[in-house]
Amino acid sequence: MFLAAFTPSKNPEVSLDATLVSRLLQRDVSAFEQLYDRHSRAIYGLVLRILQQAGTAEEVVQDVFLQLWRNAGQYDSSRGPFVPWLFTLARNRALDTLRLKSERQRRREDQTEDLPPVASAPEYEKQLDEKRRAEKVRALMASLNPQQKRAIELAYFEGLSHSEIAASLKEPLGTVKSWIRNGLLRLKEGLQATS
Amino acid sequence: MKNCDQFREMYEAYALGALDPAERATLEAHLATGCQDCAKSIEEARWLVSQLAYMAPEAAPSDMLKGRLMQTVRAEAQTAKRSTPSRSAIPFWIWAGVAALLLFSVYSAWNAQRLQREIHAVNQRAAGILQERRELDAQLQLAKRAAMIVTDPASVRIVLASQDHKSPGLEAKWHSQLGIVLTGQGIPVPSGNRVLQLWLIPKAPEGKPIPSLTLRPDVDGKFVLLVSNPPELMAATKALAITEEPEGGSAQPTTTPRWVGGVS
Repeated sequence: MFLAAFTPSKNPEVSLDATLVSRLLQRDVSAFEQLYDRHSRAIYGLVLRILQQAGTAEEVVQDVFLQLWRNAGQYDSSRGPFVPWLFTLARNRALDTLRLKSERQRRREDQTEDLPPVASAPEYEKQLDEKRRAEKVRALMASLNPQQKRAIELAYFEGLSHSEIAASLKEPLGTVKSWIRNGLLRLKEGLQATS
Repeated sequence: MKNCDQFREMYEAYALGALDPAERATLEAHLATGCQDCAKSIEEARWLVSQLAYMAPEAAPSDMLKGRLMQTVRAEAQTAKRSTPSRSAIPFWIWAGVAALLLFSVYSAWNAQRLQREIHAVNQRAAGILQERRELDAQLQLAKRAAMIVTDPASVRIVLASQDHKSPGLEAKWHSQLGIVLTGQGIPVPSGNRVLQLWLIPKAPEGKPIPSLTLRPDVDGKFVLLVSNPPELMAATKALAITEEPEGGSAQPTTTPRWVGGVS
């Protein structure tokens, strides 16, 4: 099946993550630090992209990593690799925070804080695979037509529904649904071809 | 599988959280039926959606964030270590408590055994008392029966005269339904283990004496003998006789009668 290409046993990075997470259960501080160093940039980048505000993004990232530290047992390595799980956790936290904030408050904060600089070079050699995958995803998404890509971004980064996206883009609901589904299927095919 | 066709186009949007409420409810109702195919497809779709995180450019959080996190994590790890009790860290009073508990357990077991023995003894005593009461009840019933025989006007009085004219006479009352009561006082106690035995002398010319119960007067020479079921009918009995016999009585008289009384 599709996920078989990403099973932990085939990827040493994934196995390392699973090992580090299992060490968290023994309250291993150095394992936590390694996990933070390996993934904090990607997680912070994602949360910042959703919240568009550095201070709030850091609070959410702090919550995400503390949840990982305190509830490492919630991650089951037999059910899938660690990074997608952590992404999902971070996205959910960030979208929850986004929904709690009023539109006016967010605008005011946008005016007072600048976005942090984007990280360019990875600090760890083990991030190479993640980096290649990130490049592939970005390349595949860039190949979509701008409206299609925008529809997916609105859904993923802003948590909007089909109807809300259709209203936002002033496009028919059926068109939005097709854009999103076809775009994701194209991403899937592209990643399968890479693996 | 055909039932799942209508959901195929929803998997990715569901994983993305983009389905409108009505569509989401429909799919979740289907998933609630336990459809493994759809569940598996949605699991794959979730992984695919998670890859969209790479669209966001990586960004470096502040060093302060890491500092705060590591400070919190180290403090919690220390607290966890302190709160894990080691053998040597267990205070003396806990060991004392455990020892007291063990001692109490041993004492409880011993006490339970002792109580069990006492209960057994009490049960035995109760059984003895019950038996005594049953015997007293039986004696009471016999005494009542004897009293009824003695007082009932329907009873026939029989005087047994001493054949040697030295001993006092005996008296018997015979009730046709309740039996015979034989009483005496001042009667010489037979020597050794010998006893006095009652005989019923039948009216039939060739009839032999019919043996009945035996008795031994008390030290004062008193006795009351109740024969609940006489071995012969009153109408068929000519006389009552008493002989001295060995302990346990005899099938036929071995001595001459010492008392004899005719049944009228």
